[in-house]
Amino acid sequence: MKKLRKHLYEGMYILNVTLSEESRKKALDKILSGITEKGGEIHKIHDQGRSKLAYEIHGKREGYYFLVYFSCPSLAMEEIWKEYHLHEDLIRFMTMRTDHVKETLEFKPLKQV
Amino acid sequence: MRKSDSGLMFAKKKKTCPFKMSGFTDIDYKDVETLKLFITEKGKILPRRITGVSYYFQKKLKKAIKRARYVALLPFVAQE
Repeated sequence: MKKLRKHLYEGMYILNVTLSEESRKKALDKILSGITEKGGEIHKIHDQGRSKLAYEIHGKREGYYFLVYFSCPSLAMEEIWKEYHLHEDLIRFMTMRTDHVKETLEFKPLKQV
Repeated sequence: MRKSDSGLMFAKKKKTCPFKMSGFTDIDYKDVETLKLFITEKGKILPRRITGVSYYFQKKLKKAIKRARYVALLPFVAQE
């Protein structure tokens, strides 16, 4: 049997801001449990907080940003995406492959020439 | 110094890639403050003949800006 390959992914999720703190937690848990059920593993969660969207998405001007690093079998990703499309409170998501988990989200500035 | 056709003298300063100078290895789409330096007020990507970014990093920059646009960190078209 072909061995299932696990890859490291980085997912950015934008949740609805109108949710209460409790239901936001539930919505995030739904996302995370979807990953772990498919044989994935959560490495790091960055709570980036509420911020203004650069443009309106479905009539919403603000969003609550989460960044999650997880590893998952590549074949399970399609099923995970299908679940995301059915998620009501998820305004937008983006998952992509990465090489390493970023512990902090600080970036060095460009040198002034 | 070089003499142009019109006879005017001007000094041409060679542009260097700001990412190479700062020792970047990759450009992250979450680094919005850096990305904002390479787009116009309207939200368009600046050509590298203006910014002096190298061919290698312009490709990385393009990808990062497009990703940032998708997750609404940067606008597709900025409104007045």
